[in-house]
Parts: sequence; C-alpha cells; structure tokens
Amino acid sequence: MTTHTAIAPPSTTMTTPVERDRMPQRRRRRLDLHRTLASVIVTLIVIVQVYPLAWLFLTSLRTEQDFASGNPFALPTELTLDNYARAFATGNLGLNIVNSLVVTLGANLFIVLLGMMAAYAIQVLGFRLSRVVRALFLIGIIVPVQIALVPLFIDYSSVNLLDTYLSMIIPLAGFALPMSVYLFSSFYEYIPRETYEAASIDGAGPYRIFGQITFPLSVNTIVTIVLVNSIFIWNDFIFANTFVLSDELKTIPLGLQNYIGAMGNVDWTATFAAVCITITPLLLVFLVLNKAMIYGLESGATKG
Amino acid sequence: MTHTRIRAAVVAAAAAVALVLSGCAGGGSAGTDPGDVDPAGEITPREISWLLSRPADGGVITAMQQIADEYAADHPGFSLNLITTPDRPSYIQKYETLAAANKLPELFDTDATPFARKLADQGRMIDAEKLLKSLDLYDDYRPAALNYQRFDDGSLYMIPFEFQLEFFWYNTALFEQAGVQVPESLDDFPAMCTALRAAGVTPIALDGQDQWPLERYMAYHPFRTAGPEYVQELKKGDAKFADPDGQAAVDWLHSLGEAGCFAQGFSSTGYADAQALFTSGKAAVYNIGTWELGNLATENLDPAVRDDIDYFTLPLTPDAVTAANEYVTPSGIGMAVNAKTFDPLVRDFLAFALKRYPEVYAATGALSPTSNVETTIPDNATPLYERAVEQANDVGEQIAMPWDTQLDPTSNTRLQQELTLLVQGESTPDEFIDTMDSTIAQNGPAAFE
Amino acid sequence: MSSTMLPNRSKTSVLVFLLPPLLLYGIAVLFPIVQSLFLSFFSWDGITDLRFVGFDNYARMFVGDDVFWTAFSNSLGYLVICLVLQLGGALVVASLLISLRRGRELVKTLYLLPAVISTVAIAFLFQRIYSLEPTGLLNQLLQWVGLGELQQAWLSNVDTVLAAVSIPEGWRFTGLYMLIIYAALLAVPQELEEAARLDGANWWQVFTKIRFPYIRPVWITTTIIAATYALRGFDIPYLLTNGGPGQASELLTTYMYKTAFTHTDYGYASTISVFIVVECLIAVGLIILLLRRKADA
Repeated sequence: MTTHTAIAPPSTTMTTPVERDRMPQRRRRRLDLHRTLASVIVTLIVIVQVYPLAWLFLTSLRTEQDFASGNPFALPTELTLDNYARAFATGNLGLNIVNSLVVTLGANLFIVLLGMMAAYAIQVLGFRLSRVVRALFLIGIIVPVQIALVPLFIDYSSVNLLDTYLSMIIPLAGFALPMSVYLFSSFYEYIPRETYEAASIDGAGPYRIFGQITFPLSVNTIVTIVLVNSIFIWNDFIFANTFVLSDELKTIPLGLQNYIGAMGNVDWTATFAAVCITITPLLLVFLVLNKAMIYGLESGATKG
Repeated sequence: MTHTRIRAAVVAAAAAVALVLSGCAGGGSAGTDPGDVDPAGEITPREISWLLSRPADGGVITAMQQIADEYAADHPGFSLNLITTPDRPSYIQKYETLAAANKLPELFDTDATPFARKLADQGRMIDAEKLLKSLDLYDDYRPAALNYQRFDDGSLYMIPFEFQLEFFWYNTALFEQAGVQVPESLDDFPAMCTALRAAGVTPIALDGQDQWPLERYMAYHPFRTAGPEYVQELKKGDAKFADPDGQAAVDWLHSLGEAGCFAQGFSSTGYADAQALFTSGKAAVYNIGTWELGNLATENLDPAVRDDIDYFTLPLTPDAVTAANEYVTPSGIGMAVNAKTFDPLVRDFLAFALKRYPEVYAATGALSPTSNVETTIPDNATPLYERAVEQANDVGEQIAMPWDTQLDPTSNTRLQQELTLLVQGESTPDEFIDTMDSTIAQNGPAAFE
Repeated sequence: MSSTMLPNRSKTSVLVFLLPPLLLYGIAVLFPIVQSLFLSFFSWDGITDLRFVGFDNYARMFVGDDVFWTAFSNSLGYLVICLVLQLGGALVVASLLISLRRGRELVKTLYLLPAVISTVAIAFLFQRIYSLEPTGLLNQLLQWVGLGELQQAWLSNVDTVLAAVSIPEGWRFTGLYMLIIYAALLAVPQELEEAARLDGANWWQVFTKIRFPYIRPVWITTTIIAATYALRGFDIPYLLTNGGPGQASELLTTYMYKTAFTHTDYGYASTISVFIVVECLIAVGLIILLLRRKADA
C-alpha cells in the first residue's frame, strides 16, 4: 500500500530506550509512576490475551469428568494424556499436518515468486500501464475472498481441479498476491537506481539483474511475507472446506471439524488435545522466528 | 481504443463463463438406465467409494468395512473406500456440490430431500425398489424403514442401513420430586414444564445448536392433529401455518417457550452438553433416538441416575389422527446408488453386502432395518435396552417425518431460525406464521414443481 | 508514464515477469468477480439448466429479502466492533508499550500469539468461554466479581450475540495491528514531544497534536487492512453460531455462503457477492476520503 496512502516519514532518528533515560531529573518521578501504571495495565491485557490459550492447554490434560463438572478456573484434579491418545485415534492428525504443510509451502512459493516478479516488472522494469496494473492488484486487497467460492467451484469442477492441493493453493496465493506485490515494490523503491545502472553497464540483462541483485536483496521481505501469510494459510478454513472432499487432503482446520460427531456430539477434551497438537508446529516456528517476523512487520508497515 | 478492448475482453470472458456453465449444468444424462438394475457384463473388481455421513467408528461403518474385507478376499482388486463426514450440514453441502460437479461416487448418502428428488428425476440414481426386488431382499426390510426413505409419490431410491425409534427419555426421580406424571397429551407439556421448573429442575434438555432437535418439536403437534400429509402440503405452499393445525402447533411451541420448558441458553447448547444435562440428573426430559441406547440404557450411564431412567413415546393429542405407536421412527440417512457408475461389480457387491449386513450390524447391538435378525443385547445393558429393542416390532405404518428432510433448504433454514426466536420469546406466534408462510410461498412451490 | 530503472530492457522481459502473476491473479480473483456478475443474472441450482432471470435477483435482494438487510446491518456492526477492538486496542497497548522499559519483546510475542491459532480452534474455545451450562469462563468471572446477575448464555441472547462473535475476531488480530502501530509510534521524533511537553502540553495534547498526525499515514493503511479483514469475516460466526439465534449474527458473507452451498441457489448467492464487492470498494473509498480530508483540514 505504498503510493496510494502517503508514505510515512523515513524512520531515521529512532530513539532507543537508553537515550530516553537521559531526561531531566525533575520529570523522573512522574514518569516512574506512569511506567508502573503502564506495566500493570499491559500485564493485565496480556493476561486476558493469553489466558484462554493456557486454559485450552490445561483442558487438554483434564479428565472428561473433571471437564464436564468442573469449574473452568480450577486446576485439573489429575492430569491425563488419554485425551491425546484419543485425539490421535479419532482423527488423522499427522496427515492433516502434512497437508497443511504442503498447502502452506505451495501457496507461499507462488506468493513470493510471483509477487517478486510482478513488483520487479512494475517498479524496476516499468511500463506504460503500470498504474492500471497496480490498481488491479488493489482490488484483490479490498474484496473478500468469499466472492471467489462459487465461481471457482464451477471452474474447478469443469477442469477437474476439485479436491486437489492446487484447488486450495490457487485462491490462497491469488488473494495474498496483491499484498505481496505491494510489499515487494515498496521495498524495491529503496534500492538505489545506481545499483541497476552499474549492472546494466556491465551488460547484465533484466533476467540476470533479477536473479543476481533484486532477489538476494529481497530476503528480509521474503521472510516477513512468508511468515505472515503462513499464519493465514495454515489456518485457512473456507477454501479447504469448500473445495476439499476426501479425507486424504484434509488440512488441519478440517481435521479439527472431524471431532464433531454424527449428530453434533463433541468430545471436548480430545478436541482440545487435537487443537494443542495442531497449533504446535506453527507455534514453534513462530516462537523461533518471531523476532524476524516482528521486525519485518514493523519495518514493512512504516516503510510501506 | 482501450475502451473497446476492455469491452471485447468482458464479452469474451462472459462467453467463456457461459461455455463453462453449459458444460457442467444439467450433466445428468446418465450412461445407464436407472431402471436397469441388472446390467450385463463381467464383474471386474476395482475400488468403489461410498460418500457417507455416519459416525466414523459407528456400527454401520464398522459392519460395512468388515463385509467389504470379506468380499475383497474373494475378489482381489476390490476395495470399498468409505468417505465419511459425520457433521450433517457439512455433509449435505459436500454432497450437493459434488452432484453439481457431476462427481458423485458409486454410492452416496442422502435423505429424501427435494434435491435428491431432482437427482432421481434426472436419472442419476438407481431405482432402489427394483434393485432390492431383483436381489430378492425387498421383503426382508421393515416396511417402516423403507417408507422413511420414500419420496412423496412412494418411489424408493435410497436403501436404509439403520432403524431407530425416537423417545422422550425421562428421569422418574425428578418427575416424582415435582409431582408430575408422564404427559398423556402433547397439550400437557406446558403444565409439566411449569411444575418441574417450580421444583427447581430444568424440564427438557435440548441441543439447540444443531437445529434439528428443536425442529422435531415443530413436527410433533401437526403429526398428531393432521397426520403426515400436513408437512407434505405445507412444503408446497398448499397448506399454511395459518391453518388451524399449523396455528395450534405454533401456539403449542410458543407455550413451551413461555413455560420455560427448555434450559436457559438452549440455542447455544450443543449435543454433548444437552445430553450431559440429562445424564447428570439436572434435566428431567431428553428427546433422542435409540442410537443413544449405548449411553442411556447400559452401565455407561452414571450410577446415580441409572435406575431412574425410563422413556415414553410421542404423546397423542385429544383428537389425534395418528396412532400411539406411530411417531418418529427414522431409518437414518439412506444410501443411493449412482446410476452413472452402476455396473455388474457394484451390483454384485451390493448383493453380497446387503444380504450379509443385517446379521453383522445386529450383532453390534443396533436395530437392523430388516426384520429377519435378532439384535444382540450387550452384556452391560440395563433392562430398558431390551424393552426399547422390543418396541421396534410394534411400530405403526405412518412416520412422523423430520421436517428438515422435507422442506426446501431455504425455507428450512428460515424455519430453524424462526423456531429459535419463537421459543425464546423473541417473536410472537403471529409474526412467526407471517414470516414462515411468506417464505414457503416464495420458495416452496418452485422447489417442488 | 512510469520510468524504468533499466535502460535496455525489452518489452518481452516485462511480459515474462508480468504475465505469470497476472495469470494467477486473474484466475483466482478477477475472473471470479466477472463470473459472479454474470451468474447474478441467472437462476441456477447446480444440477438443472441455468435460467436467465434478468434483474430478478437484484430486485429480490433489495426489496424482497429481509434477511439480506439484517445481514447487511449485522456486517456493519461486526465491522465497527472489530475496528474498535483491533485499532483502539492496538493503539492503547502500543502507546503503553512505548512507555515500558523492560519486557517489550515478551509482550509483543505474547500479544501476537492468538493470531497463530486456527479459527476452528478459536470457535471451539469461545464456545466454552461463553457457555452458561456448564458455566464458562466469562460467566464464572462475572460471578467472582459480584456481577452474577449478568450471567447468561451469551451466544443465545439476540442482544449480545453479535458482539460475542465479533470479539474473538478482534481478539485474535489486535497483536498484528499493535505491532504496526507500535513501530510507527517508535518513529515519532522524541525531540518534538519533549519540546511540546516543555511548552506545557499535557499527554492528550501531545498525542493529538504530535503523535497522531505523525502516524496518520500508517493509521490509514492499518484501518484499511483491518476494515477489509473485518468485511471478509466469516469463519467465527459461521462456526460459533451459524448466524443464529434467528438472524442475529448473520453476516453478508455467511448468508452468501449458505445461499450458495446450503440452499444451492448459486445465482442469488452471486448477486450477494456482487453486492459485497461493491460494498467493500465503497467502504475503502470512504475510509481513504475521511482520513485524508481530516489530514488536509
């Protein structure tokens, strides 16, 4: 979302917390009070934010009776791993995780590669109708994904794409592509013209420049885009629910739906165990890479 | 210049869409004649699929899996791929979209809905009556089990795999505590609820989240006062809620709501929570079918309430036109046979499987849709189990059909929504009647042309 | 005219880079929009032949369908609640975080955590949180703080259900927006704020006169992203209440989905789709117009 919304001022003078501490003495006391208050409020908000997740995890360790009768805030009377055993027995969690992985990787490949290509064409190569193409991509950011459900369903059924990985990957990548194009092209704006001119003089054509200059420079942006999109794609419910029919292709959200029994019966503790299992892979990636992602989001937002 | 080009592009796109659509619409023309139940040719074993909506570890799937394995032992290369979606709304969506894409597998589950009617009209399902007769199995089936699967004109395209009776289970201790008797008439329900409420008991446990349980209550009153024809006429717009029978039913539901019959917050209570309300002794009445015998009539039941559980069948109304032994006796969602993929192998497998099925299925403690086998009573059953199984031999001919399989889907969705509002007291009987009559007038006749 | 950074690039190279992304985007996004427009003039149940009905579907939508209008106003309500929670919450937490000395990284990570969880899991979770029988988290909490009489089945009450289905959506993404706004706030030059404070400005004046104008461009972007995401809200209401009780939590998106895939009324569903596209374009246009104009004033 670069040129359409005004560009934020470049963040040159970032004050670090250390610099901030060099303040006049007389303001110190008031600020300390302020800070304590802020810490308390932030802690409270974080508790509200995180408690449901802790509760989810605790519930997955409760016995069924304890869950059915118990006070939701109480600690479990006894811990059990039965729920996890049942979760694995009822569903096909391993397969679901693999499927989610395939779809997430596949869609990300398209989003990154095609996003870079489009941004390169718009921002670096440049052409007469580039503004029109930009505007076209803006539509994809604005319209909700649901409008594609019926048409894609019809199209897929006529070309035999229903119930394939590709049926999920195409719309997931297609709807994420605009944002990727915007993030890449706003990043490419910052690559100095001279870099390209120097390479051009050395005789490099557009393909070599893309491969040798633009792509290597994009790595940080790629990490951000992949991480943010992975969250959405890993958890996608609506496309999977509409286009996937066989058990072999079910992704995690659909696998979790399996825990709803024939007449609407739900084995809650096993369901919560399954939830815990399925969020683990993404959670681990997130915890390991969250610095990179947070950095990317922050810089992407302020630069874009 | 660009203008004309864009216009040309739009026209081209529209033409492409038209092509795509015409390519997959009306793709019903089947390769096989739906009446030809004994096609000529070799039996060539292959994998066949059954798209179904039944519990993954339930009796039907376990039994059919076992039978398919037996068949595969004699026919190498054969396998039965069972694709189940237990959650019914998700299933219906999946099956209807597959039908639109002309991608239904050899066997698929469906109720006798308007949508299934269209598929049958297009010759996409094998005539089940002819098939069962040619396999010499037709007479084994309980008439009620087959009748449940029939369309309004009596034609049969689905094969039943279960037989269930729906009862009002109740807690005798709580009834005693509140000083109430088993209701003799549906009209006694409000008074029963008031008394139970006064005794501090939740009168009726109801799974409102899944919609169908409340919709059953909609079906009860008219079934007694006007018989099974009422809903058949109502769905086409020929009968109305504003008619005396409809009005009485709506008023009855409204009075159930006013008397506080259902637990507070019933509309967001799920299946498991509703059942827990009853099995933990907090609610006095629970309306559910014999598929829950394993939880309600065996030692799985909490010892604290085990000896207090009993059941009664759908009460009458003062001048009921249906008999006491006629109530909701569904044979479950039925299995349709895809005409397009029907061949000697499918026929041969069905011949083997349907013959073998009743015995295998009844051994799991469930009621077979046929009357030629005895249900095995499990070792841990309470006396109630056997009584419920016996009851199956004494059901009448007419069935109170669940309305969700009867109405067109648009009217059905609206009815489910409006019912909740009516019972919660958010809308009056008159508003309910106005809304529903106009919704059905708008959608019903078109769906049943 | 756009300028090129590469003097000797060929036209072919532009096409080589541009066509593959446009192809995918066309198939997944642009063509379906055109198709919806086309289908909206037909009546089609998926299995019988397509029937041209002219503007009948539009007439039905605008004058003959009360559920459509209920869903429309619910969608707006959902949008407002999500925006307030996500942007308001994000701004408050980001501002507080700026004044913290320690633990910023930890707070950021924890705050982002709910975004990682799938909506199906979130729906399961909130079903238990709102539950009355057995007592869920929320009702238990009310009892403890002495507001026991407020206990209710939050998803059964037509007055509370819309807020109840919006809150999980707001909850899961505040972290994301908080990060963006936090980064923007970090970039506000401290010298300006200090100078204003020395001139006797209170924190509110500092905020409205210096901080907010400085982050306005980011704020506009964030508002647009949050608004478009709220307008495509679907999973949580669909899974949590399926639009009920009655139509109290029906959104345009869930209604469209039901019309297509439960009622198999693909033509009318496409008509609603077309409306959703127009609605989103108008909403984003309005946001840009309003926030820009304020900046100019």
